[in-house]
Amino acid sequence: MNSKLEQLKQPEKLSYSLAVIASVAICSLLFMLHLSLGAKPLSYAVLYQSLSSFDNTNFNHMIIHNIRLPRALVAMAVGASLSVAGAIMQGVTRNPLASPSVLGLLAGASFAVVIGLGLFDITSPLYTPWIAALGAATAAILVLAIATAAPGGATTLNLTLSGAAISALLAALISVMQLANEDDFDDLREWLTGSLSGSSLQSFYYIAPIVLLALTVAVLLSRKITVLGMGDEIAKGLGVKTFGLKVQLLLIVIVLTACSVALAGPVGFVGLVIPHVIRFFVGADYRWVIPFCAIIGAAFLLSVDIVARTVISPQEISTGIITAIIGAPLFVYLVKMKLR
Amino acid sequence: MIPTPKNSPYIKLRLFNQSIALLLSKNVLWTLLVLSLSILCLIVLSINIGSYQLSTFQVFDILLNQPEDVASDNIIWLFRFPRTLCAALVGAMMALSGAALQNVTRNTLADPSLVGISQGAALMVVSSMILFPDLDQSWRSLLAFSGSILVALLILVLSHSNKSSKPVRFILLGIGISAFLSAITTAFLTYGDIYRASAALAWLAGSIDAANWQDVSILSASALVLIPLLVLCSRAMGALRFGEQSAVCLGTRIHSTKYLLIGCSVALAATATSIVGPIGFIGLIAPHAARRLCRSSVVAHLLLSALLGALLVLAADLAGRSLIAPSQIPAGILTQIIGVPAFLYLLLKQKAHSAI
Repeated sequence: MNSKLEQLKQPEKLSYSLAVIASVAICSLLFMLHLSLGAKPLSYAVLYQSLSSFDNTNFNHMIIHNIRLPRALVAMAVGASLSVAGAIMQGVTRNPLASPSVLGLLAGASFAVVIGLGLFDITSPLYTPWIAALGAATAAILVLAIATAAPGGATTLNLTLSGAAISALLAALISVMQLANEDDFDDLREWLTGSLSGSSLQSFYYIAPIVLLALTVAVLLSRKITVLGMGDEIAKGLGVKTFGLKVQLLLIVIVLTACSVALAGPVGFVGLVIPHVIRFFVGADYRWVIPFCAIIGAAFLLSVDIVARTVISPQEISTGIITAIIGAPLFVYLVKMKLR
Repeated sequence: MIPTPKNSPYIKLRLFNQSIALLLSKNVLWTLLVLSLSILCLIVLSINIGSYQLSTFQVFDILLNQPEDVASDNIIWLFRFPRTLCAALVGAMMALSGAALQNVTRNTLADPSLVGISQGAALMVVSSMILFPDLDQSWRSLLAFSGSILVALLILVLSHSNKSSKPVRFILLGIGISAFLSAITTAFLTYGDIYRASAALAWLAGSIDAANWQDVSILSASALVLIPLLVLCSRAMGALRFGEQSAVCLGTRIHSTKYLLIGCSVALAATATSIVGPIGFIGLIAPHAARRLCRSSVVAHLLLSALLGALLVLAADLAGRSLIAPSQIPAGILTQIIGVPAFLYLLLKQKAHSAI
């Protein structure tokens, strides 16, 4: 009997594994495309040369190494971490609208970074992720507390409304900081719209291991997230320690959000869009949802960034603007369809 | 006719052969008086305070008599006075817009700046500022109105079609739509020419500092048209407080009233927004505060809301230009900082899915 069940599951497993390989292939293809396209199109031969034998007097090699490679890597890290954070939030809260941007985590993280820069002059990229994490955690706890205290409890509606309110408040406070000392914040203006243009390899090398660690833990916990998605009581009945698990997952979400903010500023709606797309194809089994979210999220942000850099070249639009233009209609659709 | 007891807390007022009948409570009248006096005080303060020092006596002298020196005359008549009037008018209009919107949608959390109506106006104005910088300023109101009305229609269509719709979905849809519109507005700001973009950015923060007499005349003209319209709808608004079905039973033509009210609300918000940029949360706070101040009829509630709105924006503008002088905090940002805690308070206090 058991072996028969295993057999039944086998084709699914096989096709999903093939799909993972295919998405990795698509992602690497987009990576190459991202490196070669831009204000100065570069051929794949040049690309290969610059990656295999880097020559720091060659102008084209410099473009790839100093501008495009960091940007592509950061896009992948940000896309993967935000998508996985969104997937975990939607799974745990059983809330189709949950994501780092809707529930105010991105606003909290960016507010903390702005405060750190404005009041305490902390400019070192070493501290940025941790300050962002502090802000994201505070915002998350605040939004959760308000929604839980509101009549009806932490429903989709209450969570979304308090998230929107906290985001609005933090945005206003950020504007006050900006107006109070305009010169310091000139660089931040672009960062606050979620831009990948200032990416550096240095901060990527510092933050990437943290992202990888958090993603690995998320994959390890994925089986329990599936169970948690069935509801607290069922999860408890199946022997999951729900409270401890929720705290662990919240920590992962906060770390992932903070890392993405430290790398690229608040890039909205990625964490909302990708998990929905993935669940539409894969279903609610988080053992597959989380890896797919990481890969497709990375591919998604790479392609968005290609559009952002090329559509009005040589100028560019901030990546966060394009993700919002894609993501907000999906939000409206979800409110219309999923919320009864 | 029921005789009025001697010490009733109400005063009856019947005008035009009883076609307008008002039952005014003395409580409300006192509150109105206090609010009007405080607005007057704030207006005087607002004209007095500024980086150019003038004594109260000098100010009155300039306002009443012929000027003695041109500089201080200009400061009062060209800068401070129109700015003060603009702040008061904008506050009153946003408050009325919010009151009407809350009444129609039967939703205590409705606010024109939260559901995307202000953002629709903002998108139209910013795109016109960047794409057609030579366009005359008087077109802005019309553009802002068309943007707002489109957003309002979109939200109505989206939230209407489902039978089981709750009034609260209206707000969530609005949040989504305003995020979308803000993203496009930001795209215009980053893509557009830097000088035009910085002008648009100042406008977007909800700043009243550039107000002139033309703005005051646009605002007061539209207020003169729209506020009587709202007052005409007040009976229907009273019936709508009990819900649509009861309103129908009470003989209200709810469809025409609803669209008229939404039109009024959008027009008020759009005109105010087109002049000073989005001023957040006044439409949410003022009607609620008015309801808390005293029990009142619909018309009295509208009046109280308008006065409170004017008071709030006047205070925000005054605080914004004197707190960290010489630089200024736009009034829109300050109202947002006050407004969010008020919104959260309402969110915590509302009975589950309550109406007004």
